[in-house]
Amino acid sequence: MMQPPDSPPSSEQQLMLRASALAGLTLGELADWAGVAVPQDFRREKGWTGQLIERWLGAEAGSRPEQDFPELGIELKTVPIDALGKPLETTYVCFAPLTGIAGQRWEQSNVRHKLARVLWLPVEGSRDIPPGQRRVGAPVLWSPNTDELLLLQQDWEELMDMISLGQVEQITARVGQVLQLRPKAANGKALTQAIGSHGQPIQTRPRGFYLRKNFTQNILLQHLYLSENPLA
Amino acid sequence: MLANQIAAGEVVERPASVVKELVENSLDAGATQIDIDIERGGHKRICIRDNGKGIVKDELGLALSRHATSKISSLDDLEQIMSLGFRGEALASISSVSRLTLTSKPKAQLQAWQAYCEGRDMAVQLQPAAHPDGTSIDVLDLFYNTPARRRFLRTEKTEFTHIDELVKRIALSRFDVAITLRHNGKVVRKFPLADSKAAQSKRIMSVCGSGFQQNAISVDADYEGLQLSGWLAGPGGEREQNDLQYFYVNGRMMRDKLLNHAIRQAFEGLIHGESYPAYVLYLTLDPRQVDVNVHPAKHEVRFHQARTVHDFVYRVINSTLENAISAGLLVAEEADDSEAHVVVAEQATKQASQVREYEPAHNYIRPLRPAATHGTSGYARAVDVSQQPTAAAHYQTLMQTPDAPVQSAASQQIYWLPLPNEQMLVRIGSKFFQLSHNHIVAAFVEASLGSLIEKQQQPVSQPLLMPVALAAETNSDVQEQNLQAGLLPIGIDIALMNGRWLLRKVPAGLRELPWSQLLPDLIKINDGVNCYVHMLAKAVTQLPQPVSANIQQAGMRWLSTQTEEQGCFWLERWGRSIPLTRWLSENE
Repeated sequence: MMQPPDSPPSSEQQLMLRASALAGLTLGELADWAGVAVPQDFRREKGWTGQLIERWLGAEAGSRPEQDFPELGIELKTVPIDALGKPLETTYVCFAPLTGIAGQRWEQSNVRHKLARVLWLPVEGSRDIPPGQRRVGAPVLWSPNTDELLLLQQDWEELMDMISLGQVEQITARVGQVLQLRPKAANGKALTQAIGSHGQPIQTRPRGFYLRKNFTQNILLQHLYLSENPLA
Repeated sequence: MLANQIAAGEVVERPASVVKELVENSLDAGATQIDIDIERGGHKRICIRDNGKGIVKDELGLALSRHATSKISSLDDLEQIMSLGFRGEALASISSVSRLTLTSKPKAQLQAWQAYCEGRDMAVQLQPAAHPDGTSIDVLDLFYNTPARRRFLRTEKTEFTHIDELVKRIALSRFDVAITLRHNGKVVRKFPLADSKAAQSKRIMSVCGSGFQQNAISVDADYEGLQLSGWLAGPGGEREQNDLQYFYVNGRMMRDKLLNHAIRQAFEGLIHGESYPAYVLYLTLDPRQVDVNVHPAKHEVRFHQARTVHDFVYRVINSTLENAISAGLLVAEEADDSEAHVVVAEQATKQASQVREYEPAHNYIRPLRPAATHGTSGYARAVDVSQQPTAAAHYQTLMQTPDAPVQSAASQQIYWLPLPNEQMLVRIGSKFFQLSHNHIVAAFVEASLGSLIEKQQQPVSQPLLMPVALAAETNSDVQEQNLQAGLLPIGIDIALMNGRWLLRKVPAGLRELPWSQLLPDLIKINDGVNCYVHMLAKAVTQLPQPVSANIQQAGMRWLSTQTEEQGCFWLERWGRSIPLTRWLSENE
């Protein structure tokens, strides 16, 4: 039986140690040992998995603009995967600013900042596995390589161009090779301000940046299994 | 040529477009004085005279032929177009739909020459003429040979209004050039050289009216290679039509959607939504950052850094307006509105001062709730599975050469023949063996993991994306320690957690083995490393199904790197020797 740590990790190594120790354990076990109730289903408990993992890694609770491990500059992302290891959902990165964005650059953007260093933690997410029995997978500590950075930047520029030029309503989930923009809110009623096609203020649903599934899958596969034939 | 006439439609739409093309040519020729004479709205005559560098006699004929542009000699030049006309179509297009006379005298040429060309046969006649330094182009009877287009011409007054508007645009873009415009012999516009601030103000006034000139706020900002300068009217100076909107990009007048959007956004909340801001603005940037070759009429551009340009224009105008408002330079028309102005200005300050990230509270994510029964506290245990530096280094090297099996001297072609029941016949040298792919993989596993132990090398492990779990029959720490001592040296990471065996890491390259089927065999024994290696290999041969294609290939590649002697040793160990050579010689 393990216990969640009572302090944030002091180094990357310690964070990886903690994360690796969770591999193979079920959410039920982790919740049990941490003294947390397991929800019947996740529809009403969005973010539960992330919060549970955060507690086990020693991140402070809550979702803030800065990273989950600010001292280490590391962001935690749990990824629900299916039996074949494929991500089941796109990965939320951060809120997309729709106003006050004049002059914003990729280098200073929140997307770039959030994705500078990410600890990916796959978690079984198939609907036929009850929440308590879902298992945690192997952690992957990742920083985007040159190619990935370029792809992200291209998408970000394209999306921000559209937002700035008043085309936010024309942005569909199909825009962007690896990064997409989608409504982000608990329900469809929440509205926020954005720029219209004539430069006038308009009301629209809040948006968030999301990573496409195949991008996340590549990260997991590349980092875990890049070399398939090292013994030969 | 007919093609020229058709193409002329693109460039030559109406008299004003003729004036535009010709004046731009004059500007490109370095003229400082341009005289424009229009008769009957341009229907009858358009004459442009400049004091530019002129066209030498030999090139006069060429100047009238289509696509003869002297301004672009290579494609590279297209990338940094600074001259206004560049497509080399203007003169040819115009001459194909009019009676055109081109007279020119370069400074260095003693005599002026005149080229005359009429209609579609395009035969150019040259004759000497009297003319000061520079070029004159006389266009008579525009569209005389294209009645269809001629019918589309508006009244003389309307056509002249277009020309007048065009000349005003040009006047605002080139303060260093004096321009005179005459209609039917009367001087309509006279813009003297404006080389001082005062003279520039005067020119602004004569183009935009005294109302604009007196209340204009001057704009001047630059940021990383982008420069925006000029004048704009603050709140109160907006117009009911968009008739006072002059925007120049590198000296070229533009009506561009992106720029309009930026300006409109900057004025948002400051002027009524139905009215139009008034401005004369000049944007200067590296020509490589713009693509002007988008539209023949060249009213639209494409910026390579569209958003950067948009945001720059927006921010400069917005903060200029905001500064002017806070400095009290502008008085809002209505009391009710003035409050709104201040609020908007404040917002603009905040927006401009820093880019903030909007992150609403995630109310719908509930905090974790304590369980009904609190778990009793236990001891924390973490298995050391951190990547050791040496292992990481190995992994690196492996990742760099992912698919290059060592081609040793022993490297050989493996001949094999598929047999029923997943079996195959393999030949090494003159020996034949019968076995399955799984047997070859077993040999591969035993040989490579065994040599790790022998050489006491650091194993390279790969984490399984999802660890393999198996319920433990006994909960013995001793067994766990024994297993770890035996399996860690071959890169297998196993741990006993909460009554389950968890297999978290496996030797690199063997991830695709069906570990959930192999794990029961591994935990049965606790007899030292070599035994584990052999048991693992044996478990592979006992699998009911063939291993994955990738692993099969890895086994074959490994076999191909073995010497004949080694290969025979491993195949004899895991397969069945077939006396095929003997059988063949006996049956010869």
